[in-house]
Amino acid sequence: MKQRSLLQKCLAAPHMVWTVLFIIAPLLFVAYYAFTDSEGAFTFDNILKSLEADYMVIFFRSISLAIIATFICLIIAYPMAYAISRAKPSAQKIIIMLVMLPMWMNFLIRTYSWMSILEDTGFINQLLIKLGLEPVHMINTSGAVVLGMVYNFLPYMILPIYTVMVKIDRRLVEAAHDLGCNSFGVMTKVIFPLSISGVVSGVTMVFVPSISTFYISQKLGGGNFDLIGDTIERQFQTAYNYNLGAAISLILMVLIIISMAIMNKFSDEDGGMVV
Amino acid sequence: MTESNAGRIIELKNIRKSFDGETVLDGINLDIHDKEFVTFLGPSGCGKTTTLRIIAGFETPDFGEVFFDGAKINDLPPYKRQVNTVFQKYALFPHLNVYENVAFGLRLGKKLKEEEISRRVKDMLRMVNLSGFERRNVESLSGGQQQRVAIARALINHPRVLLLDEPLGALDLKLRKDMQNELKNIQMQTGITFIYVTHDQEEALSMSDVIVVMNEGVIQQIGTPTDIYNEPVNAFVADFIGESNILDGVMLEDYKAKFSNQTFDCLDKGFAKGEAVDIVVRPEDVDVVPVEKGMLSGIVTSVTFKGVHYEIIVDIGGFKWMIQTTDFVAQDEHIGLYIEPDAIHVMKKSKYSDQFGDYSSFSDELDELSVNTEEE
Repeated sequence: MKQRSLLQKCLAAPHMVWTVLFIIAPLLFVAYYAFTDSEGAFTFDNILKSLEADYMVIFFRSISLAIIATFICLIIAYPMAYAISRAKPSAQKIIIMLVMLPMWMNFLIRTYSWMSILEDTGFINQLLIKLGLEPVHMINTSGAVVLGMVYNFLPYMILPIYTVMVKIDRRLVEAAHDLGCNSFGVMTKVIFPLSISGVVSGVTMVFVPSISTFYISQKLGGGNFDLIGDTIERQFQTAYNYNLGAAISLILMVLIIISMAIMNKFSDEDGGMVV
Repeated sequence: MTESNAGRIIELKNIRKSFDGETVLDGINLDIHDKEFVTFLGPSGCGKTTTLRIIAGFETPDFGEVFFDGAKINDLPPYKRQVNTVFQKYALFPHLNVYENVAFGLRLGKKLKEEEISRRVKDMLRMVNLSGFERRNVESLSGGQQQRVAIARALINHPRVLLLDEPLGALDLKLRKDMQNELKNIQMQTGITFIYVTHDQEEALSMSDVIVVMNEGVIQQIGTPTDIYNEPVNAFVADFIGESNILDGVMLEDYKAKFSNQTFDCLDKGFAKGEAVDIVVRPEDVDVVPVEKGMLSGIVTSVTFKGVHYEIIVDIGGFKWMIQTTDFVAQDEHIGLYIEPDAIHVMKKSKYSDQFGDYSSFSDELDELSVNTEEE
């Protein structure tokens, strides 16, 4: 093992301080609140309460909506990332900028815009009425919540997949063609296996914010589709039950860690990947 | 197959190709015969790799036709052609191990039993001396080993023609020599037509049955290595293949050439009386003799020891000759040169006349540099 020099230690110090102050310490606070009651006495009550049926329904809903949103993102992003990676380098830059463009706008504004688009008297329905069609109820449905997630988190799926794909050597594609692969074979036998790592990070980067989001469901779901994020927010902001809120957060964290571990398992398996 | 193209496996007819308005191939006509080892030789940007890629199917010609076994294949996609390619820098699949890389071509199309696949992959790996490497990750292999995997992978489908795009370019000199022999052996063993692209004239001379010398998108000469070396058609070929002194001369009559203000007997004929020509004399074909016995005489301006011989530069009337001799001569010595009639080769004037042949700006280092920066 190489001995680290004093300089290296000094350079690492700010990061260590940052980590301890803003990551480790808050985590310890969360754990402390989760395992104590309002008097500060040790208890499992909060954890047990979080696992009751009422909350399990919410957990289940959060997980399913997040999975659906992640899946839709993947379906949209994968071919798109492939197409971008095959475009001319100058065009690639522009398209990637366009992909990131919505991220320059505030998250709240974007979500509000979707409200006015999806409302019963919103943009889409007015258009339908003008065309002589029946208006469609869209706002405050689970579909609207998923749409909000997909819209907001899609760039996080496109970018990592694109980054991996653009690095795939064109010669590998030619080699596969040369050895007898048609275009479909090239996709399944070369491009897809080589882009797994991008898919894994994309899925993680969409799934994690989707499962913990709270704002999208409130605005586009009209409060009918409480997610874990909403529940946690309510415990802290409205019910002032920090202990329960912390316990639910802790369980959410465990859930996320488990799902990330599963995803990483996929990317570790080298070769012969079939998903 | 008609009588006229018997034995021809690939025919290129008037192939033209340009990229972004820049002409890369300017009317390539070429027949390649079955079971031959053919080398496309030329400097960077001469169009040799593009020609190879057109045969492989990665590029389509703008004009002209490509025939395979007498059938036109211009629009046939690469995966339907009976040719396989060994790529520059190998292009092995990083997500597959050695075994799976080699088996890749077998797993496509018709289903083969796993035992059959295993048997053929093992045979192939034995042929390229990589038995026991089946489970290795391709990225953990050395350059030479990766090269062998690439060859095995390309040969497993028994192609009619194997295309090799500067396959040894990334290997060091010693390994390159070994691989040259091995490739030649594999070619003879399998009886597959090899089309080999290189900018290394030594490699081309030692491996090929036929060399196609290219420059600026045009075929300069097609011939056996001895033909190309002994009877270059123009100054470009003479200069590119081996070392040569290329001088302005005049054909006085058949078998009489005049250059360096002297008249020499030679073996060439068929030129007009008094026609201006280029004269090639190879450095190893000139004998160093005492001044009084020489046909020409001059001052030695530099002497370099090369191991087997000395390479000396001799100034004769302002033209710097390169001469290879096993006898030591000192710098600034006044020496005579003797040239046998069969050492003189006469060429028609071409657009390459006057561009090559004088060694006043000669430097081995420059040659090395231009080779190392080669990137097509």
